[in-house]
Amino acid sequence: MRALGTIAVILTGALLLYASGDFPAWGEPYSPANDSRVSRHYILKSFEETSVPNMVTAVLADYRSYDTLFETVVIFTAGIAIISILRGPVDKRVRLRRASEKSLRQSNLILAQTCRLLVPVIQMFALYVIAHGHHSPGGGFQGGVIFGASLILVALSFQLQTALDRISEKRAMILAGIGVLIYSGIGLTCVLLGSNFLDYSVLSKVLPLSAIEARSYGILGVETGVAFTVTAIMFAIYANLSSHGRMKGGL
Amino acid sequence: MNMILNIACLGLLTIGIIIFFGAAIGVLRFPDFYSRMHAAGLCDTMSTICLLMGLALYQMHDLSLPNLLVVGKIFFIVAFISLTGPTSTHALIHAGYQRRNRPPIRDSKAKEGSE
Repeated sequence: MRALGTIAVILTGALLLYASGDFPAWGEPYSPANDSRVSRHYILKSFEETSVPNMVTAVLADYRSYDTLFETVVIFTAGIAIISILRGPVDKRVRLRRASEKSLRQSNLILAQTCRLLVPVIQMFALYVIAHGHHSPGGGFQGGVIFGASLILVALSFQLQTALDRISEKRAMILAGIGVLIYSGIGLTCVLLGSNFLDYSVLSKVLPLSAIEARSYGILGVETGVAFTVTAIMFAIYANLSSHGRMKGGL
Repeated sequence: MNMILNIACLGLLTIGIIIFFGAAIGVLRFPDFYSRMHAAGLCDTMSTICLLMGLALYQMHDLSLPNLLVVGKIFFIVAFISLTGPTSTHALIHAGYQRRNRPPIRDSKAKEGSE
């Protein structure tokens, strides 16, 4: 059986290696991905039109902003689904108290001190990734995941309740909603100013910016909304999964 | 000068790779959870630090501001790894110990304590 598995793995690997020989060369300017009319427009014009050096961010949050809006909605819906499946009825008898001093002392000293050192740095880095999505790989999704991971780190190295004291379940869900609201709100503002949904260039009518700069700052606003949602949903999913929906105890 | 830098850089990289190899062998060959974690934790941290230091030295071939910035970033990674590596090893071993997965100590005097 094991030999059969090995043979299957080797055959599949050989097939993949053989097929990869048919790929266009790396950086080949006439490959289908680079030579279509649409991608040529992005490659040549995206900096002129949006003043965003990172082409991927420009495509993600400007040209294909609808797509990203509904990706954010998908994450929001995933969070709602997990909560509606796992979260049990609220038990009124068990009042959620702040994590007591005794239970804090029980938590591992080494873990707690390292967490104390690292969490602020991780959160700063998350904000940097969100804001720097214009210039380098990054943006709302990645930064939001890093920020959510820092909250999960708090829950792991102390207790779930310690993290819930910082950002309660209710507050997390409100934040998730606010994220989607920021995104679609920016889109609606564009409609109200008399243009298409999510066409940021009209924001220059209300902001002291040129039309091109307005597109750049519109992307920043949209990424912030994405980051809110991703952070909150990451934490809510972890909290529900680790405590079987009871929001106490946890890992 | 370049010669010395090259030799130091190569030496650090080689040491790092050898230690990494030791970590891989240790994880595969050691008998129980604790000694495996010992190999993985110690060697991983040390070899990563060696490799990153080698890369930092390689960047110092021509001293310009962008290169020095890269070196600074590598040092941040080194600080991060040297903080998190031991801590995560400690957390894993602590979790294993709390689950009463006692280390199997072979003692010539007390053989009844073997699990």
